[in-house]
Amino acid sequence: MSATLGRAPAAPRDYAACNGCNLCQLACPMWRSHRDPRFTPAGMAKALQHGATAAQLAAPIEACSLCGACDPVCPERIDLPGLVIDLRLQLANSLPHSSALLDDLRARLQQDTAASVASRSAPLLLPGPELRADAALLARVQALLGLAIADDDGADIALALELGVEIPPRRLQGFLGSLSGHSIVAADGLLLRQLRRWLPGSQRMGLGAALSSRPAVRSNLLATDLYVIEARAYHADYERMVAYYDRLQTETGCVLNLDLQRIAIPAVAQGLPQKLGATSDGDDAQAKWILQGRQPARIVVESLADRAAFERVCDLPVVHLAELGEDPEMMKRRPHAFG
Amino acid sequence: MKIPPVEPGTVGPCPVAPDALQGIKRQQTNPARWNGAGWQDFVAALRASGVDLAEGVAACGVYATDAGGTAYGQPHGVVIARSAGQVSLLLKAAQAHRVPVTVRGGGLTTEGESVAFGGVLLDMNGMSRVLKVDAQALTVRTEAGIYWHSLAEELRRENLDYLSAPLNLTSSVGGTLGVGGIDVNSARLGCSADQAISLQVVTPTGEIVECSDDENPELFQRVILGYGQFGIITEATLRVRPYTPLSMHYYYYSSLRTAIEDLQMLDRNDASDYSGILTIMDCAVNLLVAFDSDEREAAFRKNWESRLRGHGEFGFALCMAGHYALRPWKIGEALYLLQRKQAVFPEFRRPEFMREGKMHDRTVVFSRAVWKHWGSRQMVIPDLATSADKFVEAVERGNAICRKYFTHYTLYCVGIKLRPEHKPHYEMSCVPPDAEGWAYGCEFEPMIEGGVYSRDHFQAFKNAIYDIGVDLGASYYRFGGMMKGYIRRIFGDALVDRHLAMKRRADPAMILNRDVIF
Repeated sequence: MSATLGRAPAAPRDYAACNGCNLCQLACPMWRSHRDPRFTPAGMAKALQHGATAAQLAAPIEACSLCGACDPVCPERIDLPGLVIDLRLQLANSLPHSSALLDDLRARLQQDTAASVASRSAPLLLPGPELRADAALLARVQALLGLAIADDDGADIALALELGVEIPPRRLQGFLGSLSGHSIVAADGLLLRQLRRWLPGSQRMGLGAALSSRPAVRSNLLATDLYVIEARAYHADYERMVAYYDRLQTETGCVLNLDLQRIAIPAVAQGLPQKLGATSDGDDAQAKWILQGRQPARIVVESLADRAAFERVCDLPVVHLAELGEDPEMMKRRPHAFG
Repeated sequence: MKIPPVEPGTVGPCPVAPDALQGIKRQQTNPARWNGAGWQDFVAALRASGVDLAEGVAACGVYATDAGGTAYGQPHGVVIARSAGQVSLLLKAAQAHRVPVTVRGGGLTTEGESVAFGGVLLDMNGMSRVLKVDAQALTVRTEAGIYWHSLAEELRRENLDYLSAPLNLTSSVGGTLGVGGIDVNSARLGCSADQAISLQVVTPTGEIVECSDDENPELFQRVILGYGQFGIITEATLRVRPYTPLSMHYYYYSSLRTAIEDLQMLDRNDASDYSGILTIMDCAVNLLVAFDSDEREAAFRKNWESRLRGHGEFGFALCMAGHYALRPWKIGEALYLLQRKQAVFPEFRRPEFMREGKMHDRTVVFSRAVWKHWGSRQMVIPDLATSADKFVEAVERGNAICRKYFTHYTLYCVGIKLRPEHKPHYEMSCVPPDAEGWAYGCEFEPMIEGGVYSRDHFQAFKNAIYDIGVDLGASYYRFGGMMKGYIRRIFGDALVDRHLAMKRRADPAMILNRDVIF
């Protein structure tokens, strides 16, 4: 596990450094759905260079899914997801959204949260709301990884980042204080990315990499599997992850959802409107694109959201990585995934 | 170079240094901005016909410059291409209202050819879907705004690949077919434009026409390598081939002439599947040679490798160590070579792009390295295209110009197999009229490296390179935009006037890509 733990990234640059190479466009799911260069990180950066405001760029700022695919391909090392997060904050300040979700989130961010009960230096799991909602799977993950679950997993902070909501410093300090000194496994790739900046000395990794490094899981990966990497966590620690998954592919023979640049194609690419529930538009196009021309016997996912997307678009068995650990209960629950 | 952040809502400073040098004659600069006469009527007519047009800085600012970063201009409005029918409506309205239309694919021009100085910018990226892959016939039909890399992503799912395309991930198919396109397999497979079987073209007056060598061949001849003057390519049928990873070999030279002679020897003898030269100035000259199959590689090793006069990496390092040990005053150059080697070489060997020693996608590897280590907010890449026998002289003279104007630079040389039956396509293009069998191209690319140069310095450098072309009777890949002053000097009045007359007949209001060539 320690082989894939991330370290702090080099200092990023801002949009002024964009030279318009458009390499980010090639990897951008937002561009794929709009086919409009304004809906790309480069398009936003170039427009900003020439005087556009956040309000004038509201449509692409809100459409971005923050998958982070643009980040590792940028030759100028511009922090493109960070740019979108900053612009969302600006946008929220100038055009405040109002929804029950946002109001609830702002209220949660003001609350004091109990500190972690885990002892200092014990590895912690930050499961996030989706995994918490599936108690059996969460128990399986915990059993496989042998980690304590953090009382405060920063789910409100992750959502605030996504929605462009200001995070009160007190809340952030409390959260980071509870993580200080721990190794961290986080299910939310966006939170993982930010932890890299907020806790540069810490040891962190994504849930997918943590699970797939377990022999009980890895040994059940087959050459006929399509293995779907969770894009945010992968791109948040690209240099390490590209090598890690390269080894995984070599060892298991499974097909990965990587493009020719070795960027993870996200199976789900929801922008702000979908997150806020303002539209129920599905984004099945991404999952269909991953499947195009491929005929796997089974799809293995790291993220529960990805499982739902593939179950919508195909009849293939779709199984979460944690379910591969030869757990009789899991095999009983999802027999189709195990043949 | 650090560009200061722009206050939101304001227009930032031009990042090109002021024209401060004295005594350099400016031969060509950006065209004047179109005056906007009748714009509102045009917009009303366009919107009435159902064509979306975006105005304002958020839309137009995206297109303020091209990859060259020295030509700056903004359109009055932007149309994202969605269909041939929509493009047709746009061009009909533009003809009627005499509004200029500038077409942009990947925006990789360096002389402002895809920068709109007023009028409409038509972004072809909106038409970027693969329409049909025929694995039996080995063809693909695609919308022409697609990037070659995006096309490769789709073809690879079928275990297919395109034949040849620029080593740049964001070159568009339509833009490339309009100017030529070179790859490191062009010495064997020809320029990228030669792989087009047929095209759907929207003429400057808005007709949607299919053309090929058999159907509307005159239009096909003019649109291929036509610099966007005779129509907009909206769809293309291209040849494809089964995909194979390639095995790459590098040989190192300290002499440009020797490396070029060896490159041409390999090309003449069909000894490799890929060949080209990439240099660090004229100090480290890298001849790359690659193969699609083990059989071809084995034949090369048996018959041709021993004839190459280049060294392997270790042998060349020893030569360089000896060379600079005897020339201690050149220590700065030696350190630069070492630093460049350490920075760039690993990019060509990244393990995630290799399998069992073979490179999985040459464009990914080279393009990522190019943008990372050569990319800059400004890029000038003057080039010379000559017949095989003039090439060494062209490169050596161009190299001397590079040394005069810039501290560091790179040369990229490649051969282009010519197809005799395509001679009409090549007229007034980058293919020099006297080339038989192969043409050769060399790009002269200074390293900007955070330096600040005036437009006049860049222009004077480009002029000095292009003057060599005039002297040798060569041609150029980038002769449009800011370099169009050379067109009559190199092609002569008679040929240019004949093409201008054809352009006037095809485009009565002269609205399509105006100022690029004529």
